[in-house]
Amino acid sequence: MEKAVKETDEKLAEEKQPGAAAWEPKIMAFVCNWCTYAGADLAGTSRMEYRPNVRIVKLPCTGRIDPLFIIKAFENGADGVLVSGCHPGDCHYTAGNYHARRRWIGFKSLMEFVGLDMRRLHFSWVSASEAIKWVDLINSITDDIKKLGPFMEYRGLK
Amino acid sequence: MKLTYYPGCTLNTVAKQFDASAKKSALELGFEMDELSEWNCCGASFPLTPDNIMGLSAPTKVLAQARKAGDTVMTLCSVCYNVLKRTNKVIRDDTDRRDVVCGFIEEDYDGSIDVLHFLEVLRDRVGFEKVKEAVKRPLEGLKAGAYYGCMLLRPFEDMGIDNCEDPTIFEDLLKALGCEPVGFPNKIECCGSHLALGKDNEEIVTKLSGNVMQSAAGSGAELIVTSCPLCQYNLDGAQEKLEASMPGYRPVPIVYFTQILGLSLGQSETELGLDTSRWDARPLLKEKGI
Amino acid sequence: MARIGVFICQCGKNIESTVDTKKVADEMAELPGVVYSCNYRFMCSAPGQEDVKKAIKKHKLDGVVVAACSPHMHEKTFRRACEAAGVNPYKCEMANIREQCSWVHHDTTKKAGTAKSIDITRMTIERLKKNKPLKKISIPVNKRALVIGGGIAGIQAALDIAEGGREVILVEREPSIGGNMARLSETFPTMDCSQCILTPKMVEAELHDNIKLYTWSEVEKVDGYIGNFTVQIRKKARYVDEELCTGCGDCLVKCPFKAPSEFEMGLATRKVIYTPFPQAVPNIPVIDAARCPKIQKGKCGICEKVCGPGAIDYEQTDQIVTEEVGAIVVATGYQVMPTARFGEYGAGKIKDVITGLHFERLASSAGPTGGEIRRPSDDKVPDSVVFIQCSGSRDEAKGVAYCSKICCMYTAKHTMLYKHKVPDGQAYVFYMDIRAGGKRYEEFTRRAIEKEGAMYLRGRVSRVYERDGKVIVQGADTLSGDQIEIEAEMVVLASAVVSRTGADQLAQKLGISYDRYKFFNEYHPKLKPVETVTGGIFLAGTCMGPMDIPDAVSMGSAVAGKVLGLFSAEEMAREPITASVNTMICNACWDCVVACPYTAIEKEEVRNKKGEIVRVNAKVNDGLCQGCGVCVAACRSKAIDLAGYTDEQVYAAISVF
Repeated sequence: MEKAVKETDEKLAEEKQPGAAAWEPKIMAFVCNWCTYAGADLAGTSRMEYRPNVRIVKLPCTGRIDPLFIIKAFENGADGVLVSGCHPGDCHYTAGNYHARRRWIGFKSLMEFVGLDMRRLHFSWVSASEAIKWVDLINSITDDIKKLGPFMEYRGLK
Repeated sequence: MKLTYYPGCTLNTVAKQFDASAKKSALELGFEMDELSEWNCCGASFPLTPDNIMGLSAPTKVLAQARKAGDTVMTLCSVCYNVLKRTNKVIRDDTDRRDVVCGFIEEDYDGSIDVLHFLEVLRDRVGFEKVKEAVKRPLEGLKAGAYYGCMLLRPFEDMGIDNCEDPTIFEDLLKALGCEPVGFPNKIECCGSHLALGKDNEEIVTKLSGNVMQSAAGSGAELIVTSCPLCQYNLDGAQEKLEASMPGYRPVPIVYFTQILGLSLGQSETELGLDTSRWDARPLLKEKGI
Repeated sequence: MARIGVFICQCGKNIESTVDTKKVADEMAELPGVVYSCNYRFMCSAPGQEDVKKAIKKHKLDGVVVAACSPHMHEKTFRRACEAAGVNPYKCEMANIREQCSWVHHDTTKKAGTAKSIDITRMTIERLKKNKPLKKISIPVNKRALVIGGGIAGIQAALDIAEGGREVILVEREPSIGGNMARLSETFPTMDCSQCILTPKMVEAELHDNIKLYTWSEVEKVDGYIGNFTVQIRKKARYVDEELCTGCGDCLVKCPFKAPSEFEMGLATRKVIYTPFPQAVPNIPVIDAARCPKIQKGKCGICEKVCGPGAIDYEQTDQIVTEEVGAIVVATGYQVMPTARFGEYGAGKIKDVITGLHFERLASSAGPTGGEIRRPSDDKVPDSVVFIQCSGSRDEAKGVAYCSKICCMYTAKHTMLYKHKVPDGQAYVFYMDIRAGGKRYEEFTRRAIEKEGAMYLRGRVSRVYERDGKVIVQGADTLSGDQIEIEAEMVVLASAVVSRTGADQLAQKLGISYDRYKFFNEYHPKLKPVETVTGGIFLAGTCMGPMDIPDAVSMGSAVAGKVLGLFSAEEMAREPITASVNTMICNACWDCVVACPYTAIEKEEVRNKKGEIVRVNAKVNDGLCQGCGVCVAACRSKAIDLAGYTDEQVYAAISVF
């Protein structure tokens, strides 16, 4: 079932933009300074390798993330957006990530309602020591979105 | 109040007095035990070995059947209670095993029933205060040993009926009936029933049951109250051996808690089947003026 | 138009091998607002920093972007260089093209790395254009400290801070300082008497000019922030005037009413007017109001009649005093899991099943038995005692998951004390493992086993019950594989060390975090073991987890060092990453007040000249704000922004994505 969906998606992507295989998606990541940003740094110091498609915007805490940032990112050409911060209970600011999670739940259902393909929008916890998780996350999101093709629907809003 | 009731095999055979006294007492306390129209053996303790998925099919069938009748099912036998409650948890939480078992028995069941023990109903739905009010014949001066055994209480995280190390539900009930409850050290130890079917285990079973009875007698219990037909059987057997091997050992009657309950509610001794016990309780009751 | 300088670092080969830094620099030069762009081998080196400074002067730069390593690595370096050359440090930003680009993209054709570096640097440049110059915030520091808890850790912290020349307010909930250590008989592994080493410290704390003692008092409310706390302390009614009382003790002798002694853990009684123990500091009694017939029913009044100085005051009420301090040390200690928690060990119903802390009192020469080991039920000297280690510890199903750390040692000590006092007695110890890490600790437990005749049995106890005046202990010896039954005359549970009842409420008052067992959380388990996440609040002793006396004392001294460090400057500077409210837009919905994890947002009333309230709005307290930005995202009317991470800055970065 899942496989069939993926295949259709690939076909659609190919139809939308011939030669889509050469196309590279752009992914915007909003991350917190203390956990995920440090985790991404650790991937670097450990010389791991991952897809070069992600651009990071560093914020003090995921609690600082306004859902509007995500919409703006889509408007400005993001094909996918990732929000990532400290694990529940590990927040540098004690509870910021809980606020982020609560906000995320509401925002996610709104985006589902307006018809966004939720494979384009991800929320994750990556700690300062989880470089491998970061690498896997970026790779899998990039590969998934590559299959979906460019995200054009919100660009006209700009 | 009408509660779906699952008797289990023993209550229809060797422990008929358990079943009958419960049913009658329930009516007097304002609820009706509505026996499942169709049921099978719970499978005793075998279904709960972790690698035996198919063993879950018997109890799941009972649960599925009961679910069609309502959202609770009540039992009297400790072993049935244990098996149904734990199986229900497995079916509810482990979807892999649920799929296998339900596929096999061709029932669509998700673990959404509440498995209750008669004792729980008395405590939480009727209330021991109400039971006390209903007592017509207080069993004053009767030193009753509360024997829980293991299946009613353990494992605690699955059963949760009472504190498994220091339970009081039996004592609380006995107090409501006017008895003098005797809590003895071995009241929550196993009687050995899980070994009783193995042919080389007789010695162990005798020792375990014997320990329980000696501990009870040492604490001054004149009668033992239980909720488990297997315990009842084993303890009776142990007393026969103790009587033979230990000079001066005086066997005591072993009865179901519903018989004592019925007695206090005014039911007659023959109605309650007190005459069918291996060790007759009637002389003791007479002595106490009950 | 901005005048931005862009510096692309090669980091030797670290960046250059997968990023064409020349090309990045050239592309950046084309962007509007960029007046200077270059690449260099090592930007962070002294000559590299010099280049930045020179370029600032030569090109009159008002902003700098350094594309190099992670800002966690060198942001401070470059901000300092910019400041030295006259550019506000917060107008300097780093683009992370090493950790998050060159090191993770190994394409040696440099295609991917260069393209990504260009994006990252461009986003940083656009963000920088919206940066505002910021100034570090300086906060005045009130150089007085509050220590909550007068056990050994709190006493040590208070004494060290006081010795450092600063004033200390020491608050203790009980009528006397001393804590649990005052209860102990002798201490492992040296076997010196606890009271003998503690009492002098208690007296020193009482007499120290820099220490103000509030006993029989509790912290009611804490406001403010690092350097500037306002603390309300409830001085519970003592019914004895502390100024007039001479500590003669006549009232204690004459009081006709008795109650179980808290200090003796119910093993003895005390009078209704009492001091917890004879060496109490201060030596001023307290009336147990709930049990005093004079206070309850107006009958008796003997203590008032016998009191020479007339210090008894039945009309006394609780007083709230306010103290201003700059730092708070939390040292509220521990308690032990009560025997009632152990159903399998008699659920607290067997009198001769006691905790280790009870045994300390039995063994103490100042205790209820004068130091003789007599069991509580009938005062008999027990001919055998079973000690059960890990009672409630290391078993989540039965209590707590953690190791209580001190029990292996004190149980070994108990067996020795017992042996010395009852030479014919037999001590049995059920244990899981013997954890004796510490200086001379292993030798100590070996001595108990090898020289002092304690019988150590590896295994758990399944049941403890009474039979014919004996306490029967059933257990397993896992080394021999045998089931054991011991007819003991007393059982001592090495009961788990748990947090104080009410620890969570205190944590909430202070705004510090605690774990699932309600032990307070340190900022970092290794590198910041005595700090909390809340600036200016520190931890010492067992309120943060089980530990022995040397550890608690070390923490007390460590905390004092931290507090004295904080007090060493008149003012403290901190990063200006704080939120602020645009009061013109704020609609006073208070969503931010609810969201803020630091209670840093207050409701501000704006009044006109007549003193009438014309508007209410939110206001951020700079001293408390830690700059997380939760309020910014929570604000519906977009009235709050976070300096250094403004909406404008974020949108600018997104716009060139």
